[in-house]
Parts: sequence; structure tokens; C-alpha cells
Amino acid sequence: MRFRAKIVDLACLNHFSRVINTIAKLAKTCTLRLTVSKLYFILSDKVANGGVGMWCELNQGNFFDEFQMEGVDAEHNEIYLELMPENLSRALKTAQNANAVKMKLTNKHCPCLRVAVELPSLSSSSRIVTHDIPVGVIPRRLWNDFREPSVPDFDVSIYLPVLKTMKSVVDRMKNLSNSIMIEANLSGEMNLKIETDLVCVTTHFKDLGNPSWALEDGCQSSQDRDPESMAEARIDIRKLQQLLAGQQVNPTKALCNIVSKRVVHFILLHEDVSLQYFIPALT
Amino acid sequence: MKCVIGGAHLRVFGRAIHAIARISDEFWFDPLEKGLALRSVNSSRSAYAYVFFSSMFFQHYCWTALPQPRQKEKQLSPPCKVIIKSVLPVFRCVNVLERNVEKCSIYTNINDHHITFQLLCKHGVVKTYNLTFQECDPLQAVFAKHMCPNVLKVHSRLLADIVIHFPTSQEEVTLSVTPMKVCFKSYTEEDTDFSKTMLTEVQLNPDEFDYFQVGVDSEVTFCLKELRGLLAFSEATSVPVSIHFDISGKPVAFSIEDLVLEASFILATLSDIEKETTSQQPPSFTPWQESLETHTEKAGNASMDKDSSTQANASKKPQRNGKTPSAEPAKPASPLVKQERKVIPGATEGDTTGVEGTTTAHAALAGESHYEKFHSLFFGAVSCKEDAVSHTFHSLATASDSEEDFGNVPSSPVV
Repeated sequence: MRFRAKIVDLACLNHFSRVINTIAKLAKTCTLRLTVSKLYFILSDKVANGGVGMWCELNQGNFFDEFQMEGVDAEHNEIYLELMPENLSRALKTAQNANAVKMKLTNKHCPCLRVAVELPSLSSSSRIVTHDIPVGVIPRRLWNDFREPSVPDFDVSIYLPVLKTMKSVVDRMKNLSNSIMIEANLSGEMNLKIETDLVCVTTHFKDLGNPSWALEDGCQSSQDRDPESMAEARIDIRKLQQLLAGQQVNPTKALCNIVSKRVVHFILLHEDVSLQYFIPALT
Repeated sequence: MKCVIGGAHLRVFGRAIHAIARISDEFWFDPLEKGLALRSVNSSRSAYAYVFFSSMFFQHYCWTALPQPRQKEKQLSPPCKVIIKSVLPVFRCVNVLERNVEKCSIYTNINDHHITFQLLCKHGVVKTYNLTFQECDPLQAVFAKHMCPNVLKVHSRLLADIVIHFPTSQEEVTLSVTPMKVCFKSYTEEDTDFSKTMLTEVQLNPDEFDYFQVGVDSEVTFCLKELRGLLAFSEATSVPVSIHFDISGKPVAFSIEDLVLEASFILATLSDIEKETTSQQPPSFTPWQESLETHTEKAGNASMDKDSSTQANASKKPQRNGKTPSAEPAKPASPLVKQERKVIPGATEGDTTGVEGTTTAHAALAGESHYEKFHSLFFGAVSCKEDAVSHTFHSLATASDSEEDFGNVPSSPVV
């Protein structure tokens, strides 16, 4: 198992750092899956995570100038590592004006992802800052736990409002209630509702638009659903707030799929990164 | 004592107070003839801070108290011990302070044990803080900076740029030097759980330092938290920072000096022996000062590792995760480990310190928090008659040191 990668371009480095910062806000520990062409940050929807699932996919070519990966064996040319994204975020935080950032999988005292940052200095040689981030190697027999979640059979799919607005609404609602109801319909309307003993607060969004999903057999999904009818799910407000707080850049596309009373599936797409986040409905 | 600090210097003074606050909860306000000294020692006696502002730093500086009607002589101002928490609010937002405050007057009233800080702010606002103090002789660390074989001098910006790579929760950091390179790294000990700890290392070229002298290869480990205060202070003064140190176990001094002020933060460093064993050491333990050559021999370490690793799991060391060190003493080292240590050749450099002295030091340290691993510096009381401004520090001593190394002091162990 070998992994070496290098980022030289500052813009790529900043972009990568932002992605890592977002992941760090969503999960304390997660799985990093490395393939020849992509990196995945995965949180599987176990009960331990509160049922939250995360799937974040990056094309390595968009970030790394050099990328060499040799997986577990020829047939399974991938590496699965468990790590704390906060560590990686911290290592990259002070690398913002680096000449180069190199990453390497090493095993000195224990398996580590070694991040070596070459910083400009006044002297002839660069200053080198090395961070050894401990990782856990996930054995192949457990890889099935980290398969890409399928898009659920949703009732309504709708584009999200401007995330900044949504975040400020949710931030205020968080002070009043632990759970929030998301409801949306196929007419581009979404409501965020909280209900307590003393007060009910609802924020209405209109004209959001509904994405059209092509079914596997090529047909447009013809919804027999009444366009006004709302699909709803009550979720933990903190998880929604974490998702919104972690977004540092406005995504190119942001939408959510609601399976009534079951799960809300968020999809945030940027140019070279896609993030899917599943928040289960509260029982 | 009365002094007045003008606007521009307020920031510097405020930063000094904040830096000292990182060392301890109380400090000494020590007016001297030539200027004002602030001193602080931490509870485990492993860090000492000293900041001296010469009278030129102040718009007005008067050491002696005004004579009372009945007294014929002027009264000298004794040093006073003040609680930091009371003073910090005066200099709370240092940057804002500069903009809003025109000057700050400080005067002590010996008779009713009050020290008063008066801030004359813009728009005619006057803020007065009356604090009580205790009259108390301050402690002063004795440390022979000029005897240190290793001296580095660098602008505080560089040090800040190095320190920023370490998380704020990182307590201890190891500075490792050879004539060819300098390296700051997270401190690890034998039983560090590497699978849970992120380690950071910053490597620098000697070229980056304004002055670089390495007489002896060494690795010194000291508390980063205490240093951060000094860095913020030196950035306010933009005076370069000098680092004087020796081998592990001997203190490291971070100091800055210019025309109107000087400051020294002297931090104890971990001695090599104690890195691997627990803090409660039985009296039959070997001398604390091991030569660097002996310790860095990998072979020597390897054999020790095997034995201490079995103990490592058994002993409950406090976790290095930013929480306050637990006061629980760890379990004693195995007899086997102790015996191995005794085999250290007696001819090692500097290893002449008395074993009996060690007993006193370690016995005294037992039962304290995990910082007891740091040797306490030798403290002498400072009387106001002494010209403490003269900086001929006496030779370094700890309770165990016989001070032979420094030539001109009697060899009996000093307690």
C-alpha cells in the first residue's frame, strides 16, 4: 500500500483546504477512500453517527499535481483510511502560502498520513513543517460498509434556497427548538418549521425550482404526485446547522431530496467536488 | 512609587502584563531605583518571568514615595505582590487601549497597601482601579545566560510563525539543535499514544536566525503555553528574541532587550531521565543530569524502551491533550529500569552533581502535578537593597546542583 501526492498550485491548495474544512465540520472521524482517480470522504450512516451519512467525492486531478496510489492489491487498487479530518484541516491551515504540500502514507510508530509543507523562508532552503496525522487502515473485509449510498426513492426533490439565507434562518431556529421540520413540494415551495410549547415559527421559500431526475430506464420521472402536496421530514436541527455552517463557498448546485418521514438527502455540487449528506428523520 | 505611562507605550506594558499572566496568577510589582520590574513565578516553580522597564520608558517615574509630614526620610517603595486577575481588566483590550487612553498612572500607597491604576482616557473619562497588594519579597531566578553554549537570536515574527503550526492545546515542545539545523517539534514521550496524537515538526535552516551559535547539540523540551505570552509581548516591542540554552534539564531563557526595557522568561526544561520514568522517584535514583551522549545512543534507549514500555501501559500518565495535568502521581518505575539507569558511566559530562542533592529535589517534588518533572529553578529572595538591576546573574543552581561547573561558587548543595 503506497500513497504519495503533491499540491503545488496555491489555488488548488486553498480549494482543497476549504473542502477539508467543510468535512471537518461535518464529522469528527470519517473514512478516506483513495482510488487512482478520486478521493472520497465517507461517513457511513451507522447508528453511532446518529444515522447521518456523508459521501464527498473529489477528482484528484483537479487538486493534485502529483498523485500516486497503490492499493491493497492489484484487484482492489484502493486504500481505505480512518482519520480525523480536523487534523488534516489543522495541518493545512497554516500552509496557505506554501511552495508545496506533500502527502504520504507512512508507518513509523503507527500508520500516519504525513503532510509536509514547504514554506517560503528568508534563507536559501525552505522551511519545512511536517505533520504526522495518525490514521487507521481499514481492512478489505470492511470495505462493504462504505459503499456509495444510492439516491433514495424520494417523494420530492427541490433546489435549496441561498445557503446563507437558509443558514441564518436555521441558526435562529436552533435557539428555540431541537428539531426542525423540512417540507417541500413539486411547485418549488419549501417551508422550515419549528414548533415548541410557546411558539411556532415557519419560514416560507418560494420559486425554488424542482430538479428533474431521469429514471434509470431513461424516462423522465413522471410524478403522479400532486404538485402542491408537501413531503416532510422532521430532523435534528443541529445536524442541519452543521451542514450549512460548514459551507465555505456557494455551491454550483444545491438540492435536497425528501423521503417523507424517513430521510432528507442533501446534494451540494461544486465544480470539482460533490457532497451528499443524509439526515435521518426523527422518530 | 509613582509612574506615568504614555499612550504609545501602554500597548507594550499591557502586553507585558498579559505575558506574565500566562505564567502565574500573581506577580510582583517591584519598583527599583532605575525603573520598574515585574516578576512572576509559576506554581510549580518551573517558569519565571521578569520584565524591567527603565525609567526612560515612562513619561514620569518616581521611585520613592512622597515624604509624609512626620517622616524625615523618603520612604522606599517595597515590592508588592498583586493578583493578576485584578490587573488584567485594566489592560484588557490592549489594541483598543492605545486608541482610547492617553496615559496611565500607577502609584502605590504603602500605608494602606493599595496600588492604583488610573487611566486617563479620551473625552475626559478617567478610570481608576484601586487594588490591594501584599508586601512580599519577590523571588528571582538565578540563571547564567552568558554561560549557555547555545544562543539563537531571531525576530519574534519568526518565532510566532513557528509556534503557529502547533495547536493551542500543545503543551510542550522540543527544540532540537545541531550546528546544521534547528527543529521545533511536538514533545513525545515513550508512552505517547501515537495512534491518537498528531505530531508536528518545524525544520529551519540556521540561516534564518539573526544569530546562531550552537556549542553543544541538544534537545530541550519546555512549555509552549508560557512562551506564547512572551512572543505576543515581543511583537509589540519588535525587539528580537534571544534564546539561551544548554542541554536538556537545564533551563532555557527567552529574552528581549532594548534601550528602555528588557524581559526574560526562564523556563525549566525536561531532563532526559524523567522523560522516560515517572514522577515519583525513590531516593536511590541515579543523578538527574545525564549526559546527552548517553541518552541519544539508540542502543541504550532500545533496551530501556523494552522495560519501560511494559510499565508505560501500567502507569497512568496524564494525557497531553490540553487538559490541566492531573495531580495523581504515576506508579513508580520498575526496579529493572532503575537498575539500568545506574549503569550510566560516571564520567559523563556535568554528571558530578551530588546524588544526595537529587534526593532532596525529587522528594520535594513528589506529590505535585505532572510539571514536577521540570526541575525547579533556584530562587533567591531579592531584597530591595540589592541592586537587582545589575544583570550579573549568579550561576545556575537547582537544589541538587553543586555549582562546580561554574567555578566560583562553593560546592555545598544549596537548598
